[in-house]
Amino acid sequence: MVESLKSWLCGAILLVAGLMQPAFGASPSFERAGFAVGLCGDGAAQSRVLDALIRSSGEVTAEDLAFAGILLGGLLERRLVCLGDTAVLLEKAGAPDGREVVSGGVRSTNGGRSPVLGLRQRGLVETALGISALIAGETVELRRKGLAAVERRMAGVPDAVLVRAQDNESDAGLKTAIGVAAQGAALSSPDPARRLAAIRAVAEALSGAAFSRLSALKSDPAYRADPAFRAALEAAIAKVERAVWIGNGLALLYNGLSFASILFMAAAGLAIIFGLMGVINLAQGEFIMVGAYAAYAVQEAFRRFAPGFLDLYLLAAIPVAFFAAAMVGIVIEALILRHLYRRPLMSLLATWAVSLFLINFVRVVFGSQNLQFAMPSYVSGGVPLYADFIVTWNRLFAIAFAAITLVLTLLILKRSPLGLDIRAVTQNRDMAACLGIRTRRVDRLAFGFGSGLAGLAGVALCPIYSVNPGMGATFIVDSFMVVVLGGVGTVIGTLVAALGIGGANVLIEPFYGAVAAKVIVLVGIILFLQRRPEGLFAVRRRR
Amino acid sequence: MVDVTRRHFIGTAAALAAPAIIRPAWAADTVKLGCLFSSSGTMANIEGRLNHVVRMAADGINAKGGVNGRRIEVVTSDPASDWPLYAQIGRQMLQQEKVAALFGCWTSVSRKSVLPVVEQNDGLLFYPLHFEGDENSKNVVYVNSPPASSVLPAVDYLMGAEGVGAKRFFMIGSDYVWPRTINKQLKAYWASKGVAATAWREEYVPLGFSNFQTLVNQIRSFAAEPGGQPIVVLTVVGSSIPDFLREFANQGIRATDVPILGLDMVEADLEGLDTAPLVGHLNCWAYLQAAKAEANTRFLADWAAYVKAKSVPFSADTVIDPMVSAYDSVQLWALAAAKAGSFDVPEVRKAFAGLSFADPSGYTLTMTGENNYVARGVFIGSVNEKQGFDILWQSPDASKPVPFSPYG
Repeated sequence: MVESLKSWLCGAILLVAGLMQPAFGASPSFERAGFAVGLCGDGAAQSRVLDALIRSSGEVTAEDLAFAGILLGGLLERRLVCLGDTAVLLEKAGAPDGREVVSGGVRSTNGGRSPVLGLRQRGLVETALGISALIAGETVELRRKGLAAVERRMAGVPDAVLVRAQDNESDAGLKTAIGVAAQGAALSSPDPARRLAAIRAVAEALSGAAFSRLSALKSDPAYRADPAFRAALEAAIAKVERAVWIGNGLALLYNGLSFASILFMAAAGLAIIFGLMGVINLAQGEFIMVGAYAAYAVQEAFRRFAPGFLDLYLLAAIPVAFFAAAMVGIVIEALILRHLYRRPLMSLLATWAVSLFLINFVRVVFGSQNLQFAMPSYVSGGVPLYADFIVTWNRLFAIAFAAITLVLTLLILKRSPLGLDIRAVTQNRDMAACLGIRTRRVDRLAFGFGSGLAGLAGVALCPIYSVNPGMGATFIVDSFMVVVLGGVGTVIGTLVAALGIGGANVLIEPFYGAVAAKVIVLVGIILFLQRRPEGLFAVRRRR
Repeated sequence: MVDVTRRHFIGTAAALAAPAIIRPAWAADTVKLGCLFSSSGTMANIEGRLNHVVRMAADGINAKGGVNGRRIEVVTSDPASDWPLYAQIGRQMLQQEKVAALFGCWTSVSRKSVLPVVEQNDGLLFYPLHFEGDENSKNVVYVNSPPASSVLPAVDYLMGAEGVGAKRFFMIGSDYVWPRTINKQLKAYWASKGVAATAWREEYVPLGFSNFQTLVNQIRSFAAEPGGQPIVVLTVVGSSIPDFLREFANQGIRATDVPILGLDMVEADLEGLDTAPLVGHLNCWAYLQAAKAEANTRFLADWAAYVKAKSVPFSADTVIDPMVSAYDSVQLWALAAAKAGSFDVPEVRKAFAGLSFADPSGYTLTMTGENNYVARGVFIGSVNEKQGFDILWQSPDASKPVPFSPYG
């Protein structure tokens, strides 16, 4: 909401000069200079002018509402600077001078201050901005955003606002939407017909909040006295309840899927490395970190050379992160691990050393703070899909990413010559060598491939988690859990195990809490492995 | 050849993994101070800064001629966010390095694990974090505030008309002693104010937890229930804080719908986050970077210069309360040691009574002979779009600390 208002305000700022003729379109209940001074006052003064504006917003002229909207937008963005008895609006936060809000004259901001909003005042500002956009917004899109903001804070909005907005509205769709919102506001109206309409209107929302509002009406005297009211209310509650229930179910499914996709991404590379070579690679988490840092490097390159395409850096980072992590993996294999095959304990210690080395190396080069990622719109925020179920874009990105990785990994393993070699070496290393497969080369490529997958995980995870040198440590235990449960060396096993662990965690969490969920899942895995040490899907092999 | 390589790597692994104390060259005219702050694990990003601040403070004192004619030498370590390791390294520092005082710990669980060590060895631990109170050891200097002078004023603010008139509370914390004690005290406090037990929910997550989807869903349905304005009291620590905030913003909840009071949330937790959708959430500390004081301007400039000069791997323009408190700790210790004319712990401890120090927050810190608590001011901060906090409210003066909470 604020985002789009911003763009509108930028355009509208040009109109300020025109709006600033006090004689034109002034309303008796609203005084521009007084409003600006009030906004510059303490919390009580701010609340007073904002309350007054909202209360009288049914009568205040559209010009004055637009004026108030511009001021409030500026206030939220710290573009409103207070100077003693007047206020100045800047084009950009921190600019050296701006236009005086009432007279329009240019004033320096020297010695001024930007007021800080308390939470209560911030709520009032959001309400007032919504009203201003709903009534005085230039485009249908802006007025629609205004309606959304007003609906969010319905309790503080006078009825007259919606009546006025509905009367003035030219767009048919929006007019109906305002009508529904206005009907919903009449939930405690004395007129029974309006109340029934209100119940139906509120039930349209299909949200937990609507459920609470409707349920509260059960203690209303009309619930006992009026059978029509009672029937309407019960139907509405049943409808909302069912929707909320379905929405919660969808959310559960989505949460499980997104957690599983994260687990799968983190574990996929490990499944190949551990499965093929029996190397317990404790540096796997750090390969994820390398991937995330590669994504950061790509972002910085875009920032410098192609700032216009910055939003696409995440996609461009995919191959870069894959190859960066794969190269690190191949170098480590060539320098260290190839000397340690068939000595699992040694390779475990060596990879641990590698992990510590990588963490400290990155810390020295980049510092330990969380990296600053510009999150493109396709991985930030979310969209309400049904009832209270919101699809968050960053999680959806990770799910899609995991699905594509899964398909590509399976294709490479099952359809490519390299995959054939990898499978042959996994199943019987000596026989494969006898048949002329260069097992050492396959090892190296497979290690690189596994590391590259971890690098991809880094790209998928950077919109979800903080990226810092220590981030890899979070994933290593979970990924081993997934690989061991899934059965060493099978991608499908890893997928099923990730889905199982993710789903179990998410299912248990609402009932017993996150701590217990983790414990229960771990105990479950231990019990399962007691029965079936080879995991869910075991690859038949001879060593 | 192969053998040598292997041994070499095992050696590297062992050396890197062992609790390494970095020992500078020993000299007769120095006095040693020990640091117990992690530079790896879940606390690394925030605790790591404190090592450097202690060094910076020591450098400043050395430049003015040191304490009692001796130069300060800072011994740092990496307890790796592993609580028992704090105790182990602390013992090593007291017994082998013979440090005059320890500066350390972020989480209360690490303090609790070091506590018996400093008590057995009659050492001195300066603890720079605000915490749950209910502890009063003669061997620990509690440089930051107990709940009565930090958490309760902030909760009062949110419950009052000036705040949002909060009626319902969703507590979510990491599963260890600080969040559990704070929440226990808060519940007793609310009960004393007549808030019904149905008005709050309490959830805990493991340390380092990052998958907050389900919990944020729960917060949304909690907010939809009737009963008045809900708020979130957030006591998760470390890397969980930014992960929680990100999920909270992505699910579209704004500060004006459900404000978060982040009790461990500092400027450093907002690094790397887009804070535009998070504007308005609150924290409370004894120092905020936006504090208006000459000492603060100087401290910020000193830190920026120090980061540049020593190429410290942390942001030059982010300063957080525990950094200032760690700085204050060194200053308080130096003042006490100078006043006592000795580095002996009992002597230094006696000198605490009546100490005062004007710190970067703009308040004057004072200590009494009653206990090892330090009187600090309180700030309530509000997240702004520039990854920092604006000061929403601050206490008129530094209040007398109340070590033991009457609630819970």
